[in-house]
Amino acid sequence: MNTDSKRPDDVSQLASSITAHPFLKGLSSEQLEVLSDAAMLKDFAPGEIIFREGDIANRFYLIESGKVALETSEKEAEPKLIQIIGAGDVLGWSWLFPPYYWHFDARVVEPTKAVFFYGTRLREKCEEDHGLGYELMKRMAGIVINRLQATRKQLLELHRANS
Amino acid sequence: MSNVGTININHPFLKSMPPEHLEHLLVNAQEIEFQAGEIFFRKGEPANRLYLIESGRIAIKAGTPDGENLQTLGSGEVVGWSWLFPPFSWHFSAHAMEPTKCVVLDGGHLLVTAEENPKFGYELMRRISQILIGRLQATRKKC
Repeated sequence: MNTDSKRPDDVSQLASSITAHPFLKGLSSEQLEVLSDAAMLKDFAPGEIIFREGDIANRFYLIESGKVALETSEKEAEPKLIQIIGAGDVLGWSWLFPPYYWHFDARVVEPTKAVFFYGTRLREKCEEDHGLGYELMKRMAGIVINRLQATRKQLLELHRANS
Repeated sequence: MSNVGTININHPFLKSMPPEHLEHLLVNAQEIEFQAGEIFFRKGEPANRLYLIESGRIAIKAGTPDGENLQTLGSGEVVGWSWLFPPFSWHFSAHAMEPTKCVVLDGGHLLVTAEENPKFGYELMRRISQILIGRLQATRKKC
């Protein structure tokens, strides 16, 4: 994956994708520019595996359109669906903290357009620019809280169904 | 009001926190002992506190204290995030399952300080995100 080969129209497409994504809403144009330096556009076809449980997590994605299934692949069993994510969602935060490996598989269900970010570079930028770091971490925390609350509700329904 | 020196700062959440951040974190902080059965917060009530558990056990429930148990948290863990984001009210209820000792931080103050001081904000949100991700991953395994 080589960012040096970006064409000018790719660059402007990338900038508009980044600006339009709800995860980055409210960031300054300067901050968005820093982010786009660590990003590129990616297209995925149905069936493609974006990342696999246990692999090294060094990136994340903002989904523009499409559908991705998060699954755990337990040995000799059908993959278990954790969640389906789509347009406007964020994919992946295992790159943020040790041990830096994916906790689940991400499998493309429908043709998907996403913005890919180099996590390692982004982490460096957050350390250099705490304003940007704060904004990104705050947004991450918000999303993780929502998912946690949704997962707890799921767990509760599971308890109820089993009792 | 500086609380540094009066509050126990051995909790993992505060580990290797730079002194200037610690000062902000401990503004309005209190050490509180809860009796078994005592309520920390109720679903729907305004959320303004972050609880660092020093000892004891806390049950997180979906509704009332006699409702289903979603999670049990104990020594070294942290409870209470709903002050971070709108609508700033508790999503769940929590009570002490046994005598429980906590350092209670002022969420409103943390949030205001984070907005004004990005260096502090980054450190705070980084730690919070890390805990939340760990908790999400643990909760998913139970599903």
